[in-house]
Amino acid sequence: MSTALFIALTLAAYLGVRALYLRYRHPLLNVVALGAGSVIAVLAASGVPYQDYVPAKDIMTFLLGPATVGLAVPLYRHRLLLLRAAPAILGSVALGALLAMLSAGAIAKLGGLPHDVVVSILPKGVSIPFAIEIASIYKGIPPLAAAFVVATGTLGSLMGGWLLSLARVRDPMARGLALGTVSHGQGTATALMEGEQQGAMAGLAMILAGVFTACFAPLAVWLLGL
Amino acid sequence: MTETIKALGQLAILWAVYQGSSWLAAATGLPIPGNVLGVVLLFVLLCLGVVKLKHVELAADFLLKHLVFFFVPVAVGLMEWGQVFADYGLTLAAAIVVSAVLPLLAVGGLVQALNTRRRAPHAGQGQEGA
Repeated sequence: MSTALFIALTLAAYLGVRALYLRYRHPLLNVVALGAGSVIAVLAASGVPYQDYVPAKDIMTFLLGPATVGLAVPLYRHRLLLLRAAPAILGSVALGALLAMLSAGAIAKLGGLPHDVVVSILPKGVSIPFAIEIASIYKGIPPLAAAFVVATGTLGSLMGGWLLSLARVRDPMARGLALGTVSHGQGTATALMEGEQQGAMAGLAMILAGVFTACFAPLAVWLLGL
Repeated sequence: MTETIKALGQLAILWAVYQGSSWLAAATGLPIPGNVLGVVLLFVLLCLGVVKLKHVELAADFLLKHLVFFFVPVAVGLMEWGQVFADYGLTLAAAIVVSAVLPLLAVGGLVQALNTRRRAPHAGQGQEGA
């Protein structure tokens, strides 16, 4: 198979799962997991090794950097929301980001996972572009980091709202920040379904959690002795 | 047509910010990814008015709408790492569940407690959720 064909296959998988998600809006219809799963199934069934797919991947992810930088746009649009309760927002998201890294890293390390897997799990609460870059800095494995991010996001969007209700967290701002900090874009999508304020707060928390996780990663790596 | 040209111009701005911040990260040796620095840099430029929202929002909104697309080819790389899940599945699941639940309740509980106290400064009975 050629690179052009791989790109067409990936696009088709993305558009197909996206259409399904837009129709049913179920957290399990995850575009990354099901999209990549379909591509992997086709490649494996036709006996194509991953190396043959790499040129296509490099072409398709060429714009990921500029696209990620674009996250400054929603952050700027919500700057007034951020300013209104800056200490509470910044403090809680920073705490959540650090707690997520330390608890994930500690369990992974105690469980005897190899170093490259442990550092790949550290940024599992943040958006994929941040997670793969943070994992790379500490010699982690980008696709594994992406998988942990998707697992966390799916968990957060499936159970996050229910867990918060169980703990009697009813404040919309608190629910939005918690969902966005812990489960990035997928949590934000869930928060948006709860309401506009929850969604805006989650979007804010998701971007801030990415920044805090990157800044705290050296501290977490040092504390965990990685 | 003009919209497309405009979007391409805006894409060039985003690309320049990304390249600039990646260079900055490499040059300073900061352990912060270039894309994280890029978000902060563009946010600062927007706040200072050096870059206006209308200079970037067309390209940014389009790319963000399809941001998830980029993750599909990245995740295809997992086909080489299936063994990790077979070998360490249980530990990985434990790490992911605990590290999701703990900060979820911490952030939710903390913000709710702070908001309750802010709204009723004399009540003195912060109704904590977690």
